[in-house]
Amino acid sequence: MIQLFHVSKIYSPNTAALKDINLQIAKGELVFLAGPSGAGKTTLLKLLFREEEPSEGQIIIHGKDVTKLNSRGVARLRQQIGLVFQEFKFLPHMTALDNVALAALVTGVPRRESYSKAYHLLHELGLQEKYDAKPPALSGGEQQRVAIARALMNDPMVVLADEPTGNLDANLADETMRLFRKIRKRGTTIIIASHDLDLSQRYGTRVISLQEGYLVDDLSPLEEDRAG
Amino acid sequence: MKGSQLGLVGRRVCSSLWARLWTHVLTAGTMAIALFVFGALMLAQENLQNLLTGWGDQIQINAYLDKGLGAEEVSLLRDKIRSFPEVERVRHISREQAWKDFRVALGAHSNVLEGLPEDVLPASFEIFVKPAYRDGPIVEALANRLRKEEKGLTTVEYPQEWVDRLSLVVLALQWAKWVLGGILFIAIFFIVRSTVGLAILAQKDEIEVMQLVGATEELIQAPFVVEGLIQGFIGAGLSVLGLWFLVLFLRDQIPTSIGFFGSLGQLQFIDWRSIALILAIGSLLGASGSVFSLRRFMKRWKG
Repeated sequence: MIQLFHVSKIYSPNTAALKDINLQIAKGELVFLAGPSGAGKTTLLKLLFREEEPSEGQIIIHGKDVTKLNSRGVARLRQQIGLVFQEFKFLPHMTALDNVALAALVTGVPRRESYSKAYHLLHELGLQEKYDAKPPALSGGEQQRVAIARALMNDPMVVLADEPTGNLDANLADETMRLFRKIRKRGTTIIIASHDLDLSQRYGTRVISLQEGYLVDDLSPLEEDRAG
Repeated sequence: MKGSQLGLVGRRVCSSLWARLWTHVLTAGTMAIALFVFGALMLAQENLQNLLTGWGDQIQINAYLDKGLGAEEVSLLRDKIRSFPEVERVRHISREQAWKDFRVALGAHSNVLEGLPEDVLPASFEIFVKPAYRDGPIVEALANRLRKEEKGLTTVEYPQEWVDRLSLVVLALQWAKWVLGGILFIAIFFIVRSTVGLAILAQKDEIEVMQLVGATEELIQAPFVVEGLIQGFIGAGLSVLGLWFLVLFLRDQIPTSIGFFGSLGQLQFIDWRSIALILAIGSLLGASGSVFSLRRFMKRWKG
């Protein structure tokens, strides 16, 4: 369960990225954070994995107040959260397999076990032929799947994805969404920040709409259907 | 830290050292030069200290004889001095013997004496003091008595005079070592800080990715600290090696004994404690430079 109570993020007196957000996301939900650029989607994700700290309010993830974590606690939180970025954030000199295995190696999982799991995940995502390739040699869709494999390495309770389909064509975007739905079936909570409202509607998920830092809509699939 | 994390640190250290090899070589070289200067002062201080200790142990007086003294007068004078309660024994060194000893002492450089008359050096007595009287003021009083009372002696010298003078030199060297060393260490610290800073900047993306996948601060920072430590250790090791070559060179160049150095042995290399000190200072400076550099960058990136 993810809970946000009166969360605000103010960068300067005139720049508030998020204003008084109250939110609850249940375990295993697939949620879209929708809204135009500058609405506060990315900021909300950053608060969830503690890249940023809220100016006000409380964020509870699986019973822990993430605003009160020390640096070690933040590292532990991130080991339980899988992150997928639009720009992927790979280490270009390392192979796809190395990049995926890194997520487990930093947590202290033995090397052999880390690489074996990374290989199986890449295989599961259809990248068994590409595990030895370096990220720049992979297509956009392949890179996206490597990023998802890395996000899943530590069996996270939550996956946060920031515009994961932003650089992909419609087919690859659909493929990525199918992957997220598959991951959700494991009981993983998935939060996707996207300005692509069509995508969220096509997949009939809960959509939380942000505008100028305010939460303006929170539609469950049923309500969405009714509204649509 | 677990095994796989240690392996990760090791691989990151190796790849960073390899990627910026020449920067690291230059930094280690600069550290080696700075620590060499410190070590050279340490070497000079230790050797002078050994010399002083050797002299102090010997407590021997050299009394040079008037050239006009005959063999009988020399013999009488020796008996008289030997009868002093403080004196253990007296050794007479004739002019010929003094010349021979000096040639031996100069070794390969003895050709500088060619052309000089063989009786140019005065005959002398080496007066050995009994252990119970080997104390600065007692020896000084004995030397003064010999100067005043014995007319057949032209000059009376005793090492304590030199011990006192050289003690000041040793003290000055000790101060110079730490003052100059301190300045050099501060310079090394800033050089390492900059080098590691470059390494941190070059690996900014890697650090960001590691932070995002949940690496702890210790795991992110450890490779840089190890990198600084290795740089420092190699720099210090090179300086010790340089000092070793310096000692070998000087041993070749300087005769085993020159004048008042007597037969107190050749130039000694610094002892293991001093080697350990140089290695520890180098490693510590390298590691601390890294830590400060990390603090600066991590703080800046966290905003």
